[in-house]
Amino acid sequence: MLTKLLKYDLKYMIRNMSVFYILAIFFALVTRLLSLPEQSIMIGILTKISSGCVIAMIGNIVINTIMRSWIRFRDSFYKDEAYLTHTLPVTKNALYSSKLIQTLIFFIIGFLIIIVSLLIAYYSKENWEGITNYIHTITTGLNMSTAFFIIMFLLVCFLEIFNAIQCGFYGIILGHRRNNLKLGFSILFGFIAYLIAQSMVLGIVYAYGFIDPTVMELFKTATINIDVTAFKILAILSCLAYAFIISLMSFLCKRLLNKGVNID
Amino acid sequence: MKLLEVKKVSKSFDQKEILKDINFTLNGGKIVGLLGKNGAGKTTLIKLINDLLTPTSGEILVNGNKVGVETKKVISYLPERTYLNKQMKVSEVLEFFQDFYEDFDIEKAKQLLKDLDLDLNEHLSKMSKGMQEKVQLVLVMSRKADLYVLDEPLGGVDPATRDYILDTILSNFNENASVIISTHLISDIERILDEVIFIDKGKIILQSDADKLRNKENASIDEIFRRMFKC
Repeated sequence: MLTKLLKYDLKYMIRNMSVFYILAIFFALVTRLLSLPEQSIMIGILTKISSGCVIAMIGNIVINTIMRSWIRFRDSFYKDEAYLTHTLPVTKNALYSSKLIQTLIFFIIGFLIIIVSLLIAYYSKENWEGITNYIHTITTGLNMSTAFFIIMFLLVCFLEIFNAIQCGFYGIILGHRRNNLKLGFSILFGFIAYLIAQSMVLGIVYAYGFIDPTVMELFKTATINIDVTAFKILAILSCLAYAFIISLMSFLCKRLLNKGVNID
Repeated sequence: MKLLEVKKVSKSFDQKEILKDINFTLNGGKIVGLLGKNGAGKTTLIKLINDLLTPTSGEILVNGNKVGVETKKVISYLPERTYLNKQMKVSEVLEFFQDFYEDFDIEKAKQLLKDLDLDLNEHLSKMSKGMQEKVQLVLVMSRKADLYVLDEPLGGVDPATRDYILDTILSNFNENASVIISTHLISDIERILDEVIFIDKGKIILQSDADKLRNKENASIDEIFRRMFKC
């Protein structure tokens, strides 16, 4: 049943997100086509506008992926569509998991579209070398391999945003357990859940600091003369902490849903 | 085994008690009218049967199972509002129901849609509310369920279509299944009712065989209702 649910959730997101994907790629192509070596003033202006559109579409992809995940979740679970969702012969766990996997998939698709758009619009030998040199400077300073740095950086960003989205789901579930001001309480509870989740991540890292003094140094000193291995540990620890928080939040959301819902 | 058992069910919102200690049972093969004034608790009771609300106390059993996945397999529910994703076409909605309900008969649904002049390729967003309600009724009545729960099925449709809907209901459920119909339009559905349940201020005040009640009171169900709930 999960795959069937996912099929319809993905269809919904494709219908709503594809326009942003197409526009991002389209403006990226326009930017590339206009980026001639010798530009007239008018072409230069058009290039800047087109380039701005690429950035705007990238912003749209990020914001819409997050917002539409929340809206889809609220509509499916608590608005008119909930009359269908909760009367399907499907467990609440499957309903929730479908929404979570849908978010995950569209996050990855969105990320890939952003990378492709940026490459189409701005790829050049100089730009590429500039980026790789910049990353190399950082990784040398932190005593990390480039691959490790990129993977950890992306993973932490991804887990952080995924955690924020799930905090939103948790807030929506809690907010709709109340009889009044459901939207307001959803936002409030979501924000509180996010703050608690972030504090827990920080708490886990701090607790680890008692075992590893190099990590504790990050909390104690304001100077940058600290052991660079601490950053490597910090990255791994953050990923593990986020994975734990995301699992915990997912468990809590499913538990609350299994206690029953009250649809207006 | 009883088809539906509602045992000591109460439902409160904050301090307000909407349903108070509701008890009733329902066997197969009956068409039951759930009748009451606005705000009497009819929709709340129906939502509880369909897992859209959680009872404050008591329990509801369908074929001996607590409300959950198993009961949803055998209940076909028509809510009072339109619940379909408006971005979908009618044909996609049929596919959706076929995916999730093993007892859904897609050929029957297509025939019913044809009878009602509804286009399979039309988007729900392009349809009027009345047309969307007809689509929903078709979906619900195209299932071979044990229990059909219809909340105000005639509310949004024109009088000319009401008879068709009632005939659809009558001719599309098997003899072992039961139908619960909640409505204000008692005179419209009176002819098909086997049993009536009168609900008022969150309590069941009468459950009776429809014919026995008519004979006893020497009046139609509609008249009895008007007399009983006179303001």
